[in-house]
Amino acid sequence: MASKTPIRSLLQTTRSSLCPARLSRPSLVRTSACAFSTTTPSRAPEYETEAADRPRWQQTPPRMVAPFRTRPLPRGPVFHVNDDPRKLDDAYVRMLGPGGDKMLSEEVKWLAVTHKSFDHGRRGFNDRLAFLGKRIISLQTSQALLSFPPAESWPRDANGHPVPDKFGRSPFIHPALANLASLTADAKDSVLDKKRLSGLAERYGLDKVTRWKPKRADNLQGSGIDAVLMTSLYAIVGAIALERGGEVANKVTQDKILAPLGFTFSSD
Amino acid sequence: MKRVRISRCATQLLAGRTPRRPSCPCAAGLQRDITPHDYRIQARSLSTVAIEKDSELDIGTPDPTSSQPAAAPAPPAIPHRKRLAPEQLPSPHPFAASHSTKLSALRARLSLHQRFPLQTLARTLVHPSADPDPAFNNASLSILGANLLGYYTTEYLLCNYPRLPIPVIFAAQHAYTGPKALATVASEWGIEAAAEPGGEVDPGLLQFRRLRSGSRVPAALRRQVPWKWNVTTTHRIVATDEFGSDNTPPDPQSLSAVPVPMEEAAQSFVRALIGALHLHLGSPLVKRFYRDHFLSRQLDLSTLFDFRTPTRDLSKLCAREGFEAPVARLISETGRASRHPVFVVGVYSGKDKLGEGAGASLEEARFRAAAAALKAWYLYRPIEVTLPSSMEGELDTRKWKPNMVDCGEVIV
Repeated sequence: MASKTPIRSLLQTTRSSLCPARLSRPSLVRTSACAFSTTTPSRAPEYETEAADRPRWQQTPPRMVAPFRTRPLPRGPVFHVNDDPRKLDDAYVRMLGPGGDKMLSEEVKWLAVTHKSFDHGRRGFNDRLAFLGKRIISLQTSQALLSFPPAESWPRDANGHPVPDKFGRSPFIHPALANLASLTADAKDSVLDKKRLSGLAERYGLDKVTRWKPKRADNLQGSGIDAVLMTSLYAIVGAIALERGGEVANKVTQDKILAPLGFTFSSD
Repeated sequence: MKRVRISRCATQLLAGRTPRRPSCPCAAGLQRDITPHDYRIQARSLSTVAIEKDSELDIGTPDPTSSQPAAAPAPPAIPHRKRLAPEQLPSPHPFAASHSTKLSALRARLSLHQRFPLQTLARTLVHPSADPDPAFNNASLSILGANLLGYYTTEYLLCNYPRLPIPVIFAAQHAYTGPKALATVASEWGIEAAAEPGGEVDPGLLQFRRLRSGSRVPAALRRQVPWKWNVTTTHRIVATDEFGSDNTPPDPQSLSAVPVPMEEAAQSFVRALIGALHLHLGSPLVKRFYRDHFLSRQLDLSTLFDFRTPTRDLSKLCAREGFEAPVARLISETGRASRHPVFVVGVYSGKDKLGEGAGASLEEARFRAAAAALKAWYLYRPIEVTLPSSMEGELDTRKWKPNMVDCGEVIV
């Protein structure tokens, strides 16, 4: 139909360079909900058939995109996000070591570094993964703090017995509760400080591959890049836990997050 | 002096024992409740030797059958101090734990192994507001326990309901391990609270400084973080706790100077108990304990949803997933002209019915149908899941089945 051609050409100009070959039959290959629908997808010309073949991370769902922009462009320079899979793999290898890019599936790899502000959340975001990752990292930090003797332990006399306090009592001593005094909320907050974690994420190169939309592209600090990088870091740990298991996630937390922050773990 | 092993049977503690101690004339009638501060008993209760066997815990108690009661050759290592009355202690002496019937009954009621020390159980019942000394209260243990509870609940929810929206996850966490839930669990376990904390109370009572009714909640329990004018969901995930609160929870040790509500003290007890179990008895037992006491509680997740515009959400969801646009169709109706009509509306994507709802008006039925369709999407549940924590320490990695990772709820 003649009226559809200008719109179709407009949509085609917005395609990026990575474009698979057009197939004759449209096929809905989605990571989820494939079995949800029993009807064959519509072949009406308004549905882009080539768009259906591309992975979710690569494109905004075509029916969620307006044909032209109605709002004015935001002030400030344009912020470009990474869309190169090789750069993402490099960041994962830098963080997780050799083979780090194979640890997660392709969609989850991209999902873990996608903030909710990117593309208005239409390509998925890492909130859930960050939620689980934060729980894991918090627990591992507590356990790491418990493996170190506290800075000020209960004073002992010459024979090694605990000295009674002003009330004349000494605490119950047990090897399992040995380092409990080093687990305090202040210690945990200082370990999991936003600045330290975002600095760590920057060292791993996550600031180059995280997909988000800052308020001002020329003022990333004011736009909250620290929190976004922390979210990405948590989300990667959460994704590893869901796809690879808790053992691998705990190891990654200990080696790649807590060890650079100053903890040493004996290899068992 | 010969050390006596406490037998497994708790009836020995229930029997009226008269240990050979320098007796106080007023203590005779209050034998069970008062812990006489005897330096010799204190010296015996201190043990810096590592516990070699897990099955027994030697606690030096005065043995009535011992042949050398008074001629104890070993003088105490600590200098003899002025004996303090129990009322002057902020919390019961650790030695009193081994004589408390409430504590041993609690341990038996929770089916905990005998090697879990009663002294640690007594420590979990002491809130920092009762005793500010971190070596005697449950602040550190409650931090560890809160982390464990949060982790196990989160992994259960995310693995079993991979598409659950974040606000519903917050609400479900709150329902399973929130302050009110933990307070309910503590009362179900039979925990009673002491009227006022002190060294003379039974160690089996929950001890905290009570907030008087009518007085304001102390500032330490209210706003904690610097105030942000827009607290988004993602900010709550990284900056506050697992319930999506607006503020970070207070540091447990910082509550040592303020009176607290009972809910806060009960919550700290349950968390501290989980932490203590983890340290003494190991994580497999904690996982079983968590499954038995927390996951066994029934929660209907479908009641936690609150949609504002379900029709718009559903339309965006279908657009995102590539389904045909949803169309609402009237399935059946009755009583259109009467005072109580009933309309049954179904929402269809092509030929598939996504959801159905009944209502007193066409609009209401359409909304209910859209909400039912969204719930059907968000409450999707895989048949078999392997939890991440099940792989901790697991040698057989073939059991692992990767969990579904959903891209997120639909943003309108």
